[in-house]
Amino acid sequence: MEALSLLVAAEPIVKDPNSVGGGLTALGAGLAYGFAAIGPALGIGNLVGKSVEAMARQPEAAGMVRTTMFLGIAFTEALALIGFVVFILLKFA
Amino acid sequence: MIALKFPEINEILVWKELFPSFNKISLIAVLAVLISSALFFMAGRKSDVNEAPKGSRNLAEVIVDFIEDGVIMQTMGKEGLRWTPFLLTLFLFIYLCNVPGIIPLFQMPATARMAVPMFLALLIWVVFNATGIKHQGVGGYFKSVLFPPGVPKALYILVTPIELISTMLVRPFSLAVRLFANMLAGHILLVTFALLSEALFQANDKILIPVGILPFIMLVFLTSFEVLVAFLQAYIFAMLAAVYIGGAAHPEH
Amino acid sequence: MLTAIVTQTGDQVQVRLVSSETTDTTMPEAVLMSASAEAGSTPKTDAEVKTPPNPVNPAINEMLWAAGSFFVLFALMRYFLFPRLKKGTEARYASIRSNSEGAVQVKADAKTDVAEYEKALDAARAEAAGRVDAARQTVDNQRTAQLAQVNARIAAARAEADQKNAAARAAAQGDVAAAVATVATRVAELALGKAPDASVVNAAVASTMEGSRS
Repeated sequence: MEALSLLVAAEPIVKDPNSVGGGLTALGAGLAYGFAAIGPALGIGNLVGKSVEAMARQPEAAGMVRTTMFLGIAFTEALALIGFVVFILLKFA
Repeated sequence: MIALKFPEINEILVWKELFPSFNKISLIAVLAVLISSALFFMAGRKSDVNEAPKGSRNLAEVIVDFIEDGVIMQTMGKEGLRWTPFLLTLFLFIYLCNVPGIIPLFQMPATARMAVPMFLALLIWVVFNATGIKHQGVGGYFKSVLFPPGVPKALYILVTPIELISTMLVRPFSLAVRLFANMLAGHILLVTFALLSEALFQANDKILIPVGILPFIMLVFLTSFEVLVAFLQAYIFAMLAAVYIGGAAHPEH
Repeated sequence: MLTAIVTQTGDQVQVRLVSSETTDTTMPEAVLMSASAEAGSTPKTDAEVKTPPNPVNPAINEMLWAAGSFFVLFALMRYFLFPRLKKGTEARYASIRSNSEGAVQVKADAKTDVAEYEKALDAARAEAAGRVDAARQTVDNQRTAQLAQVNARIAAARAEADQKNAAARAAAQGDVAAAVATVATRVAELALGKAPDASVVNAAVASTMEGSRS
């Protein structure tokens, strides 16, 4: 709770990259996107791999598998994109 | 050394106003409307019924078939076909807002500004909630959303808040952020590699000039990748909208 | 070397000293001096003077323009463009359907025509075969008749020739027998000194000739 109130009351983010705060902000922004990309990367790799396997096993079901694959990619990818938005917010807001 | 300074983020996103409140983003949105109505107007002209469709009619019918077979039949089934005009408009509008990101002189996807994706996501939110209420009534709709059948009674403590957040908040949020972040990331990548190759081509050190080929190749590759992304994001947005609307109309699916 | 940048916003004057060695205009050594005509007013910092809009914040004007154009397009599509296109498409589908039904009809007609033609062809073929058979029969009959006639003629001619032959042979035989008998009578007359009985000689000659012939 104390930590939260500290965060809220914190001074506006310093954009000057030469100050310690600015440097930490840039570091946090970079790390935010980097970490956010790990999970979706594994997820999308797994998802597309399994879909290709399914399409190879049953080429007649390829259309259905492809639709479902795109839906799954859309949901998984959203996580990485939220990380990207957090990066933008930290870096430029 | 080369003098390379990345421009401020707003310098590549915020545009001068051509006249009050009307800037490049608005221009792209208006052009999207003009282009798609022109295409469908030309396509709707009288044509010989004994001839295969060609030209604009062919293109328009391919797009309609894509929406009907590739989006609606896959997600909503046959009774979803009356949503064709809405999803067709949605797809065309998003695609034509995405594609200026790689068109010379525009070089800016309108959907890379939060305004356009957010408006579309809010619209989808309103539409699928209204559809659910229309088909199942207020009580029935919220009951099917908040208390999904087939879940043990005790678990509703856990399930209901999750369903409420995921349906009412995460859906529009992820719709908007997906489209916005994809197009913004593509735009920033293109800007980065364009600036890098420009700086290398104009470097004072003559030895650096041939190195500029490398980011330029990457720029060409990314541009062709953006062609794909522009289509794919429009397709995914339309498909998710169809899934949400279909799910609200017929919760048993 | 330092460059001074002087900006005036309202009644506030800002002086900024910028080193020209670096391209960085926001260096910390830049001296910020403010001269305010109003005493007691707090000097504003650069960040407060122009706050750059956050790139994630939606801009209201862009949103309104996008919404307006989207609804215009949707209304056009819903009530005018899409129904018109669909009408053309349906008309073409209907025409294709009727054409294909017509084609089915034409195909059936053609099939019955072909069946009739084949029936007629079979009948004509059977008739032709009958005619050919009849003609062959006639020709056969004529041939056998002519053959019989010719055979009869040949047989008659052969019988006549045989008869003539036999007569000639009999005549020759008679001559030879007479000559032999004469010769034999003469030989016996010379040997015996008296003429033999003619009937005995004739019998002997006849039996000899019979034996030599057989």
